[in-house]
Amino acid sequence: MSKETNEEQRPGIDRRQFLTVAGVAGVGTAALSGCSTDRIEKLVPYMVGDEDHVPGVATWYASTCTECPAGCSLHVKTREARAIKLEGNPDSPINGGSLCARGQAGLQGLYNPGRLLGPKRRDADGSYRDITWEEAIAELAAQVGSAGSDVHVLSGAGAGSFTDLLTEWVGALGGSLVRYQPFDNEALRAANQQVFGRGDVPDFAFGKAGFILSFGTDFLETWQGQVENQRGFAESHGYHDGHMAKHVYLGHRMDLTGMNADEWHPTHPGSDAVVALAMANVILSERERAPADAGTLRSVLAAFTPEQASQESGLAPEAIRRIAREFASHKSLAVAGGIGSQHRGAVEACAAVNILNYVSGNVGDTVVFRGGRPAADGYGALESLASELDAGRVAVLIVHDANPVHTVPAATGFADKMAKAGFTVSTASVMDDTASQADLVLPNLHALERWDDLRPAAGVQALMQPVMMPVRDGRATGDVLLEVARTVGGPLSGLDAPSFEAYLKQRWSNIAAARGRTDFRVFWQEALGNGGLFDEAAPGADVRLADGARRIGFQRPTFDGDGEFVFAPYPSSMLYDGRGANKPWLLENPDPVTKITWQSWVELHPDTAASLDVREGEVVRLESPHGSLEAPVYVYQGVHPGVVATPLGLGHTAYGQYAEGRGVNALDLVSGEDGAGFLPYLSARVTLHKTRRYQKLAKTEGNPRQLGRGIAEAMPFAAAVQGQTPAEVHGGHHEVNTEREVEAIAGWGEAQRERLDKGDYQGEHPNWGMVVDLARCTGCSACVTACYAENNIPFVGEQEVVRGREMSWMRIERYFEGGEDGEGFSTRVVPMMCQHCDNAPCEPVCPVFAAYHTPDGLNAQVYNRCVGTRYCGNNCPYKVRYYNWLAYPKLNFEEPLPLQLNPDVTVRARGVMEKCTFCIQRIRGAQHQAAMEDRPLQDGEVTTACAQACPSGAIIFGDQHDPGSRVAQAAEDHRGYHILEDLNVRPSVTYLAKVQHGGEH
Amino acid sequence: MRKLVLALGVCTVLALGALAFTSRSAVWQGPAPGDSLAAPTLAAGDTAGLPGPRQPIFFRHDIHAGQYKMQCQYCHYAAEVSQEPGMPSSQTCMGCHLVIAGSDSSSRAEIAKVRDAHNAGEAIEWTRIHSLARHAHFPHMRHVKAMGPDACMTCHGDVARMPQVFKVNNVTNMGWCITCHLERNVTRDCSACHY
Repeated sequence: MSKETNEEQRPGIDRRQFLTVAGVAGVGTAALSGCSTDRIEKLVPYMVGDEDHVPGVATWYASTCTECPAGCSLHVKTREARAIKLEGNPDSPINGGSLCARGQAGLQGLYNPGRLLGPKRRDADGSYRDITWEEAIAELAAQVGSAGSDVHVLSGAGAGSFTDLLTEWVGALGGSLVRYQPFDNEALRAANQQVFGRGDVPDFAFGKAGFILSFGTDFLETWQGQVENQRGFAESHGYHDGHMAKHVYLGHRMDLTGMNADEWHPTHPGSDAVVALAMANVILSERERAPADAGTLRSVLAAFTPEQASQESGLAPEAIRRIAREFASHKSLAVAGGIGSQHRGAVEACAAVNILNYVSGNVGDTVVFRGGRPAADGYGALESLASELDAGRVAVLIVHDANPVHTVPAATGFADKMAKAGFTVSTASVMDDTASQADLVLPNLHALERWDDLRPAAGVQALMQPVMMPVRDGRATGDVLLEVARTVGGPLSGLDAPSFEAYLKQRWSNIAAARGRTDFRVFWQEALGNGGLFDEAAPGADVRLADGARRIGFQRPTFDGDGEFVFAPYPSSMLYDGRGANKPWLLENPDPVTKITWQSWVELHPDTAASLDVREGEVVRLESPHGSLEAPVYVYQGVHPGVVATPLGLGHTAYGQYAEGRGVNALDLVSGEDGAGFLPYLSARVTLHKTRRYQKLAKTEGNPRQLGRGIAEAMPFAAAVQGQTPAEVHGGHHEVNTEREVEAIAGWGEAQRERLDKGDYQGEHPNWGMVVDLARCTGCSACVTACYAENNIPFVGEQEVVRGREMSWMRIERYFEGGEDGEGFSTRVVPMMCQHCDNAPCEPVCPVFAAYHTPDGLNAQVYNRCVGTRYCGNNCPYKVRYYNWLAYPKLNFEEPLPLQLNPDVTVRARGVMEKCTFCIQRIRGAQHQAAMEDRPLQDGEVTTACAQACPSGAIIFGDQHDPGSRVAQAAEDHRGYHILEDLNVRPSVTYLAKVQHGGEH
Repeated sequence: MRKLVLALGVCTVLALGALAFTSRSAVWQGPAPGDSLAAPTLAAGDTAGLPGPRQPIFFRHDIHAGQYKMQCQYCHYAAEVSQEPGMPSSQTCMGCHLVIAGSDSSSRAEIAKVRDAHNAGEAIEWTRIHSLARHAHFPHMRHVKAMGPDACMTCHGDVARMPQVFKVNNVTNMGWCITCHLERNVTRDCSACHY
C-alpha cells in the first residue's frame, strides 16, 4: 500500500516529482469541459515510470486525519499521483472505516485555492511580499538567534513527533510552548482532577451503555472524537434484535445530538450541575449497590433535592427522579463538558456528572481512564501567554496550526496583544486571521503532503506520510525548525536530524527496537502500510474518589450583562472552530439541524420570535456588553425560549475567498474571561434589536413537517420489539382514496408490474438496492460530503442555494414532529437519494432516453444524451434530480480544486440533469475486476461512497437478487418501508423505521 | 457581413479540397501484401507523405512492433490491467536506447532527441491520435482479455506496419463500439460505458 520515498537513489529529487500527471487521464482544467466532446490533444507520459502507480488504477496510502484532534486514520485514494478521496482506515479502533464530513473535506484544504504559493514577509507598510525559503529561514533564524529565551510558540498540533520536536526545540531555547485547541475539555479535566485526582480525559464507551444521558454535550458533533462516539452510539442506540439504548438529552438547545435523543428536555442554561447532583442524590438514597466510598457523599448530596434542581432547571422533579432511576437501573453513561455546558460553572457541572457516573458504578465500566487521550495546555495557558505578550516580554511568537485571532473572543484583545510581540511568525498555509497579522508567514505543508505521527488515543500511534507532491511551495514546519536549528546552532545544536522524516524514522526505530523488531525497514513498511500501530488499549485504571469529590456544589453561573436572553454560541458541526470555513464542501453541506448553508444565523424559539414579532430571515442585532453582531433569524422550536443561539465558525477577517466577509463570529459577544482555565462560551446575556432588514436564508429544507406523507417513519420501542411493521404502528393502512380510485390505482399498478417482465430485469443480472436504517442514521451528513467527493458534484454557492439549485445528490431531510403545545418536540432525519425505482416516473417522460433503466436495476442517466428538458426532474416524486442551471464546475472550481476530481466520473456540463447513480463507477469498476479474475462479484465488494463513509453503518448496499446478501436480508426487516409507497414506483431503497423509546408518536 | 462569412467559407472549402487532393497523391499506401515486416528506411523529413499527425519524435511503430516484433504491452504497459493503456515513460525508451543508438543517421537523430529530453528531464508531448470523449469509459483491460492477441489491432489497425501512426478506424464514434458489441452479442447497456 505504501512505499517510502526513495531518496537514496535520487538525492534531492522526490520520486513523485516525476509524476507529472499523465495526459491519458483528463486532468486539470481539461477535465472541466464536462461531458463535452473536447479532446485532450497531448499525451504526456511520465519521465520515470512508477511501480506504485498504474494510470487508471487507484493507489491507496494510509495516513491520519488532522482536521480535528480525534486522530482518525485515513485511507487516501490517489489516481495518477493526486489524492482524490479520503476514506476511513478500517483497522483504526477510533474511526473504523468511516470518516466524518470535516475529515473528508480535508481534501479541499489540500487543494484550496487560497493556499499560499510560498513564504511571505510583511513590509513596514503592512503589505506582504513573496520571499524565497532561503530568505525566510535566514530571517527566522536571525530573529530566533537574537531573541534568546524570549521565543514563545503557540501550537494547536496534536500529540506526536512534531509536537515532541517542537517541545525540544522550544525547550532548548528556554522559551515556552503553549498548546491550545478550542473545545479542549479544560473544564472536564479540572473536574476529573477534583473528583478522581487525575486530570485526563477518559474514554467514553457509548457502545456499551444502555442509557446515555448528555448534559448539553454534543458528542455526535464536535465533542471528543465525533466518529468514535457515533460508532459507539450506533452500536448501542441503533435498534437491533430487540435491544436499544435510551438517550436523554438535557440542554437549552436541541442540537444534532439532542435530535437523536429519545427525550430532550430544554433546561435552563447553567443548571446542569444541580440536576446531576440531584440525580446522584436520588440514586444514592434509593440504591444499595453504589460503590462503597460513594456513601461518604451522602451527606453532601442530601442538600440537592430534585425540587431545588427543578427550580433551577425548569425540569419537573418527577422527571428528574424518573431519569435518575432509569439511569441507575441500566448500564449507563452521563457526559458533560460540551459547549452547551461550558458556562462559568462548567467545572462544577462536570464534577457533578462525574459524581453521577460514580454513584451509578459507571467509572471503570463505561467511563474508562486510560490516560491515552492527549490534552493540550488549555485556555488558561493561552491567557498567560496573552499577558506575556501584553507585557511586551515576547521577542518572537510562532503560531503553528492555530488561529487564535479567530478562536479567542475579540473582547480579550488577543490580536492587539499579539501585535506587541517583537516578531510574529505564522505557519498557516492559508492567510488566515492570525497569519494576516504576522511578520513572517512560512506556509506549512498540508497533512497529506508531509511526514508526521499522532498519538490520539491509548494504544494508537498513527502515521502520516506524503501521498503526493506538494500542491504549493510549502515546507513542513518540522523541516523549518530543524533548518533553523542548524543555522542558529548554540542551544539548538542538539537537534541535528537532517530532516523531519529522518527525525520521525529515528523515533520509530526506537519503537521498533522496543518491540524487539530487528529489521526496521520491514517494520517501517508494515507500519506505513497499516497507517501506524493499533495496539490493544490498556485496561482502565482503578479510579476512586479523591478528597475534592466532597467539595462539589452548585452556584448559579454568572452571565455578563442584563440582556433578556442568554447567548449560546455553539460549534458548527461542519465548520468546527472555524477551520472548515474555507472549504466549500463544508459550507454547502447544510447544518444538520437548521439545514442552512454558507451563512450565520440566530436561532430563536417560536414564542420568543412571536413576542418580538420577528420572522425567519429578519436580520437582528444582538448586543452584549462585549460586542454586537447582526445575522438573520432562524425560528427553531428546539431552542430554549430564554436563549438565542448562533453557530461558531464564520466571521473570519481573513481566511481565503470562501470565508472572508462571510457571516459573523459569534465569539464577538463573549468576554472570554473569568472561566477558571477554560473559555466560558456560555457567559453573556444579549439584547435583541430589530433592523427591519431581511436576508433570505440559504437553507435546503423544503417543508419542515411531513404532513402525514410517511416519509420518515418511526415506531415506539415496544412496537419494534413486537415485530410490528410501520403500517401496523399506524393502525393499518389509512385509505384516503375513493373505492373507484383504489380500483384504478390497483389496475394501473398491475399494468406496471406486467411491464416489468418485458425487459430483461430479472434473472442473472444483479438488482442493486439499498437499505437505510433510520434507527442508526443520526443525520451527521458525512455521506453528503462523501458523495460530493466521489461524484464530482459541484458546489454552487450561497446565492444559488437560495434559488434552490444545490446539487447534492445525497441530502439529509430533517422533519420536525410534535411540539405544537410546547411538549414532545422531536425530529427525524432521512437520507434521500435517487430511489432507483423499478417503475420510475422519470424514465418514460424523457424524450431522448437519457433517463432509462439498466438491466441491473439502476435508474441510469446518460449525460451525453440529456438535452435538459427537465421533464424527469418534474416527474420525480422524491426531488432527487438536480439540474445544472449553470456551468458550476467551470465557474466554481478554481485552480487547483479540479485536481481533486474523480477521473472515473464525468463532470457534467451546463444544461444536463444529474442524480445519484448508486456510485455506478464503483459497480462497474468492481465488475471489471471480477471479470478480469473470472469470478462472480461477491456481496460486499461494491459499496457506495455514502455507505462507505457512514460512521453509524446506517446504509447497506448490494445485490437484492442475491438472497444471501446483507442488503436482501436487511430489506426483509419488519421495520422496512418504502417512501411514498402508494405511488407504486417500486423504489430500490428500503428504509427501516426509526425506533424511539417513550414517546408514542 | 454575411457575404464575408460566405466568402471565407468558400475559400476554406477550396483550400481543404486542394489539400486533400495534393495529400492524397502522397499518401503512404502501406507495404504491399506479402512484404516482410522489415521496415522501410525513412528519414524524419519523409513524414510529410505519411498519414497521421507528425509527432515530436519520429517514433517508428513499424520498426518496434513490426520488425522487432515487440509486444504492444511492453510499452503500453497498463493495457492488460487498467482502463488506461499507459504511455511508456521515457525511462522505458532509455532502457533499450542506452545501448541502441540507431543504425542510420535519421534514426540516430531521433533517438538522440529521446535521450536529450530524458537527460534534460523534459517530458515528450505526443500528439494524441485516439481520444475518447470523457463521458465515455473504455476499459482497455476487459477488451484485451476478451479478444486476446488481436485486441489492439481490432481498433488501432495494423500499427506494426505504420511508420507513423494514424487513425484507421473511427473508434471514437459510438457506432464503432456498438457494431462490435452487436456482432459478439455483448452488453449494449448505455451505463456500461456512460457514467
